Amino acid sequence: MISRRALELATAVLTGSFGVAVVVSSLDNGIGWSNAGVDAGTFPFLTGIIIMLGSLYNLVRGVVPAATLANVPIAITPIELRRLAGLFVPAAIFVAAIPLAGMYVASSLYVFAVLAIPKHQSVPRALGMAAATALALYVVFERMFQVSLPHGALAAAFGF
Amino acid sequence: MDNLHELMHGFNIAITVPHLALMVIGVLLGILVGVLPGLGAPNGVSLLLPLTFGMQPVSAIILLSSMYWGALFGGSVTSILFNIPGEPSSVATTFDGYPMARDGRPTTALATAFGSAAFGALIGVILITFLASWVAQVALAFGPAEYFAVYFLAFASFVGMGGAAPIKTVVALAIGFAIAAIGIDTVSGSVRLTMGVDELVKGVNFVVAVMGLFGIGELLVAVEEEFHARAASSKIDWREVFRAVGRLPRHSVALLRSAAIGCWMGITPGGPTAASFMSYGIARRFSRRGRYFGTGEVEGIISPETADHAAGTSALLPMLALGIPGSATAAVMMGGLMIWGLNPGPMLFVDQKDFVWGLIASMYVGNIVAVALVLLTVPVFAALMRIPFVIIAPLIVIICVVGAYSVSNSYLDVVMMLGFGIVGYLFKKLFYPLAPLVLAIVIGDKAEDAFRQSMLMSKGSLGIFFANKLVTCLIVAGIALLLLPLVLQLARLLRKPAPSTDETTAQKRAQETAREKVII
Repeated sequence: MISRRALELATAVLTGSFGVAVVVSSLDNGIGWSNAGVDAGTFPFLTGIIIMLGSLYNLVRGVVPAATLANVPIAITPIELRRLAGLFVPAAIFVAAIPLAGMYVASSLYVFAVLAIPKHQSVPRALGMAAATALALYVVFERMFQVSLPHGALAAAFGF
Repeated sequence: MDNLHELMHGFNIAITVPHLALMVIGVLLGILVGVLPGLGAPNGVSLLLPLTFGMQPVSAIILLSSMYWGALFGGSVTSILFNIPGEPSSVATTFDGYPMARDGRPTTALATAFGSAAFGALIGVILITFLASWVAQVALAFGPAEYFAVYFLAFASFVGMGGAAPIKTVVALAIGFAIAAIGIDTVSGSVRLTMGVDELVKGVNFVVAVMGLFGIGELLVAVEEEFHARAASSKIDWREVFRAVGRLPRHSVALLRSAAIGCWMGITPGGPTAASFMSYGIARRFSRRGRYFGTGEVEGIISPETADHAAGTSALLPMLALGIPGSATAAVMMGGLMIWGLNPGPMLFVDQKDFVWGLIASMYVGNIVAVALVLLTVPVFAALMRIPFVIIAPLIVIICVVGAYSVSNSYLDVVMMLGFGIVGYLFKKLFYPLAPLVLAIVIGDKAEDAFRQSMLMSKGSLGIFFANKLVTCLIVAGIALLLLPLVLQLARLLRKPAPSTDETTAQKRAQETAREKVII
């Protein structure tokens, strides 16, 4: 279970650290005024400062329980968290597998895995959908629009 | 009169067989992304974007804008038949649309929605026809300072009128600006904010951000709740369609009021979602049958639908005339314009007459095509909703991954897209607005350039933003909008010195929830 407050805090910390990174990184480009006009780092520097200040405000609002937060104390229930993970974890594995297996193999494995392993579909039907996905991608992108999708390191090793 | 002449010329361009075919394809794809939860108009349009690079700009924009109309209509279909809004902007349509459909009048609900939506869109297009070229003419005289002032006003109006918590809007905007700054600086040529990753030199493409924020993010929000697609009957009774549309003029006050709200919210970047909620709320307050709202009232369908489409359409006016998109989808389209080598803004009306007027004419035709197609295909797309979400979800993930990859054949983009997905989920969950974030990514560079050019002209003095009446007005209006939430809060504190009773807190909570709903 994740409370609304924890989620607000985490997001504020996330945006705040992005702000810090922007500020630090833009200092390299120089801030302020030079012969060429406004330095390249000035604008990002200011946005970084705004992000930091805004995140700080959101952080404080997140800590102090205001009426809005008391309204929905629980942001994500355990069941919802399981559903989220059920969608996101396979998707992340799929993305991680693309450089090795290539778009076609990775996407059909992904479709097969999410349909067959939790027994949403029978194995033959899941196989069929997996094959159809890869085929549809190939026809639409490689053939119709001539966009080459990554074939993967494995395919390259076999000479494709 | 000049406008009408140009418009006729535009119709000559829009009404050709290939362009009509593109409209049909665009609308059908649009209805598809509108119907599917997890895919929306911004995603759909950015998915199609890489496929339009080989086209004539006018054909490409006709395809993309038709998709936009289709998505706006498609979102209402699922709202009414399934009580599941396919698009954030059609949430308000569920309030009265679904009860009416459930009571055995699905055709009436759908026909009322589509009829009033078409009316809203028509008003929006008429506004563009007569106002856009005039706005562009005024804008031709703009210098960098005026441009920066207009950008500033656009961003400020998100903060002041967007409906989200103001500081969250500011953070979202600033993050968008920072993302836009990543890569090579167009003025000095130096590399910025790559944080050691060499591949980031090319910058972060807005398509990648949109795929993650709206695609994966929305999917994660949608997967949390189990879907119960219990449809009201999706059979269309054609005689009832005409009867329902024939009854619309009786509600002309609601139609006109909602169209006005929609156009206003579309031009000032409030967006269709805020427009439909605002219109619904106002209708409930002013309608004589206000207390029956929520049980299947006709005006409860008319108001959000008219405003939604009026806002969606008129959001293209500032995009065309000033180069400032009025909604997330318009922002994506504007990104497309820049990729096709066009420069969105007043010069379009001088250099690219065929493009501008072809697009405007296609809006008239495209909306008619959309109404006809959406009525014809309601049973088909309703059947689509019965496909279990577990099958649709991985397909949408694959579409987003391939979409992000195909922008510039980069694996890093795919990984970033997934990261944007998490951000999109968190932002949606906590009511940070996403539209300003996308808007800032698309036009952040232009706003920065305008600022730096004005600084060069004035040799570093901010006085240039108060040099003439026009700039001063724009800047002052922008500052006023920025401060508006603060002033409202102060006024509320002064009026109620100690609101500590249970009743007032409960009221405040109800208000807060209502307000938070608006920005979903």
